[in-house]
Amino acid sequence: MPLYIDIVLRLLLWLLLAPLLPGIINKVKAWVAGRQGPPVLQLYYDLARLWRKSVVLSTLASPGFIIAPAVAWTAVVAAALLLPLAGAGAAFSFDGDVLLLIYFLALARFCTAWGAMETGSAFEGMGAAREVSFAVLAEIGIITAVLTLVVQSGSIALSSMFEPLPGPGAALLAVGLFIILLAENCRVPFDDPNTHLELTMIHEVMVLDHSGPPLAMILHGAAVKLMLFCIFLAQAVLPLSELPLLISVAALAGSVLLITVAVGLVESLTARLAFKRVPLLLTIGFLFCLFPLILTWMGES
Amino acid sequence: MLASLLASHTAPRWWIVFTLTAATCAFVAAAMVLSGIPAWEWRSEHTVGGEQIFMRLDEISAFFLLLLCVVGAAGAIYCRSYWPQQAHPRSAGQGRLWWSALLTSMGLVLTQSNGLHFLLAWESFALSAYFLVTLDRKDPAVRSAGWLYLGASHAGTLALFGFFAALAAQTGSWELGPMTDQASLAPLFWIALLGFGIKAGVFPLHIWLPSAHASAPSHVSAIMSGVAIKMGIYGLVRFSTWLPLPVEAGWVVVGLGCASAVLGVAFALGQHDLKRLLAYHSVENIGIILIGLGFAMIALDHGRPQWGLMALAGGLLHVWNHGLFKALLFLGAGAVLHSTGTREMSRMGGLWKAMPWTASLFTLGAVAICGLPPLNGFVSEWLVYRGLFDAARLKSAAAVGAVPAAILLAVTGALALACFVKVCGVVFLGAARTKCAQDARECDAGMRAGMAILAAGCLAVGLAPAFIWPSLLRVAQAWLRIGPVPGVPNHLEPLGVAHPLLALAILALGAAALAMLRGRCRRAVTWDCGYSAPSARMQYSAGSFAGIITAWFAWILRPVVRADLPVAIFPARSAINSHTPETVLESVIYPAGNRVLRVADFVRTFQHGRVQSYLIYLCAALVVLAVAVILYTE
Repeated sequence: MPLYIDIVLRLLLWLLLAPLLPGIINKVKAWVAGRQGPPVLQLYYDLARLWRKSVVLSTLASPGFIIAPAVAWTAVVAAALLLPLAGAGAAFSFDGDVLLLIYFLALARFCTAWGAMETGSAFEGMGAAREVSFAVLAEIGIITAVLTLVVQSGSIALSSMFEPLPGPGAALLAVGLFIILLAENCRVPFDDPNTHLELTMIHEVMVLDHSGPPLAMILHGAAVKLMLFCIFLAQAVLPLSELPLLISVAALAGSVLLITVAVGLVESLTARLAFKRVPLLLTIGFLFCLFPLILTWMGES
Repeated sequence: MLASLLASHTAPRWWIVFTLTAATCAFVAAAMVLSGIPAWEWRSEHTVGGEQIFMRLDEISAFFLLLLCVVGAAGAIYCRSYWPQQAHPRSAGQGRLWWSALLTSMGLVLTQSNGLHFLLAWESFALSAYFLVTLDRKDPAVRSAGWLYLGASHAGTLALFGFFAALAAQTGSWELGPMTDQASLAPLFWIALLGFGIKAGVFPLHIWLPSAHASAPSHVSAIMSGVAIKMGIYGLVRFSTWLPLPVEAGWVVVGLGCASAVLGVAFALGQHDLKRLLAYHSVENIGIILIGLGFAMIALDHGRPQWGLMALAGGLLHVWNHGLFKALLFLGAGAVLHSTGTREMSRMGGLWKAMPWTASLFTLGAVAICGLPPLNGFVSEWLVYRGLFDAARLKSAAAVGAVPAAILLAVTGALALACFVKVCGVVFLGAARTKCAQDARECDAGMRAGMAILAAGCLAVGLAPAFIWPSLLRVAQAWLRIGPVPGVPNHLEPLGVAHPLLALAILALGAAALAMLRGRCRRAVTWDCGYSAPSARMQYSAGSFAGIITAWFAWILRPVVRADLPVAIFPARSAINSHTPETVLESVIYPAGNRVLRVADFVRTFQHGRVQSYLIYLCAALVVLAVAVILYTE
């Protein structure tokens, strides 16, 4: 298959499937609460509606307010394209591409926080400050998890990096990465994606003043980022790349579904954390990633 | 260059022509050496101070010289509009004179291969920098910053005097060159580390740096931060390849680098003064450079494995990159200062409307310094990371250090991102907080040109890193003391593809978004959960934005908060005021200095001018001596 067809196919897969995940989470939450809930495809409808709408801009906003969501979306999608998909591998890969992935996500964070500062709103400034502060702790966890995989597999390219640890190490890493997934994708217990009107918000409050197509880009980008973290987690923990192509891709899809359901269950069964506890939980996430690192280190030397 | 020195006082127009010509010539020479022609050496018949003049432009010198030329030229163009003859009739001429002197002496530092002449050039570089920092010496804050710089700088020079004298005494000649075969020279590296470390602004030797960079005119801050502190790095790079190294040297340098990187950015987050904040980021970036250099030293100790080359290349490239984007940021801060008259971030806001050029160029620099793709900061940080990851992957002995260093580097990157979102957001976005921000005007073409040159440099390194790799490899191999080895792959090639692609995608999508929404936008007051009349004072301020992180680092930042909180049912006027002091200076150096002064004061009570008491001292001393003599002769 020529490279460009491969890339286009992957792009379509990412862009079209990603909005499914928030729908699944909402459905799980509705089941647990005994409600019928919104349809699984709700986010698709929302995106289509937002795309047709016009935009209300703050009088203070610069053109950067419209450009920033576009850049953030590009960065997240670019990061997603770097990630291999189980047996299908990556479209292209080179040594050190995992760092590019992490910094693409950082670029997206810079743009979102920049957009929040555009409107001169106290709420959004607060959200941006919290986002960039807690991201410091999340980044420590991510880099530790990546270092664990690097030490375990002896490779620094994403395509050959996912060589899961045996047993307990993988379990610890799964918990650590799951905590970071919840934090980075603004889910309960870190953040509540359902309400925008709380002083306790982190990520959701940054997009208060966005509307129309830029908001659609932000929502879609968030869905892609959620899928990216799910796929990363699944591959870091399960030995998927050793299976035959079709089975491994099916297994990947199944595990992503499982993670999504887990996110929905966590969201239904726990409350949002008190604001001061957020750094503590993130630190615990980091420790869950640090122990497997020590484990792999000691295990083989 | 000499001609520009002469022309500086009288003819500003000729001065700029001569300066630019000299910078271009030096640039071409340096670029030629970097592109592979053999190093240039020149021995003169003349002697200075009894020593023959010996100059050498090899790969390492050329690498630093290239940066000096770019920043020197950009600063010269900028200062014609920033510090013009009309506004500063007395100091503008001096500024041009010392600017030329500074460029010349830094060029000499880079090319001297004789210890005595190196020291002479070093001293004249330090002095011309002092005169540039204190150009505006009517302001007492500037004078005290200048004193602090001069004091710290001379402490460093003193260490270097000791270093070169000891070197000359042990080798029998002032001439410098590779002397790795004499193992007894290894301990001298510690003195060099102290002397060059003060100049580079390594934590905790950075005490002079924030106030000097904040108080100097902005083009001077740019060259001080972009190039002058890199002279310290040059010294370390130079003497770590010429001298035999103690075994622990690499580890100490890595430790200092990690401390500088994390604490530098933590201190930066606590600042409210735009230029002080940028100055602390210099400490951070020096830390990143030292992490790269330190791992290269460890690698040298382990027999030059591949990861050492990567870390070194990253550290070296960060020298260029930091020079480019930090100078750009300082020039941008200067443009803001020029138009608003304040360095206090909490008095700014909404400047993008009045200053779109400055805002865009400053943001470019901010993205670059955060190490985000597709700009240059990411390229060098990526190389350093790759060195560290390779060391960890191969489970080499250095991996014990590589893993924590990689984690701390990630922390540094995330903190820098937080800091620059704060800077851009508070300074350029939102609503104007005061009248001086409302009345801001865009800077003129000269200042924009100076910034544009540096921004173009950032873009060039970011978008075409693969072209830089051969030169970088040459410098790194010169440092590792191996000749050109064929077959080293171009490690920057993947980024050379990924970065332009990302830049294209961003440009295309950004432009498409703007074009699509052109007719579909309606302006309204910020919604903000339904507040109908938001005021500019309700915006998040610099202090509140950084509040969470400064609370984590309160153990070292020791922020001083004076709060006048509202009380009672009808509260009167209330205020809150926070300030992050320079902890090392105010909690270590000043108390120590005060103690010395107190001891000196106590000793002075014995000297009061009464002859009778002096006679008693004499008698007492005689008695003590006599007793001592009697005791010891028995």
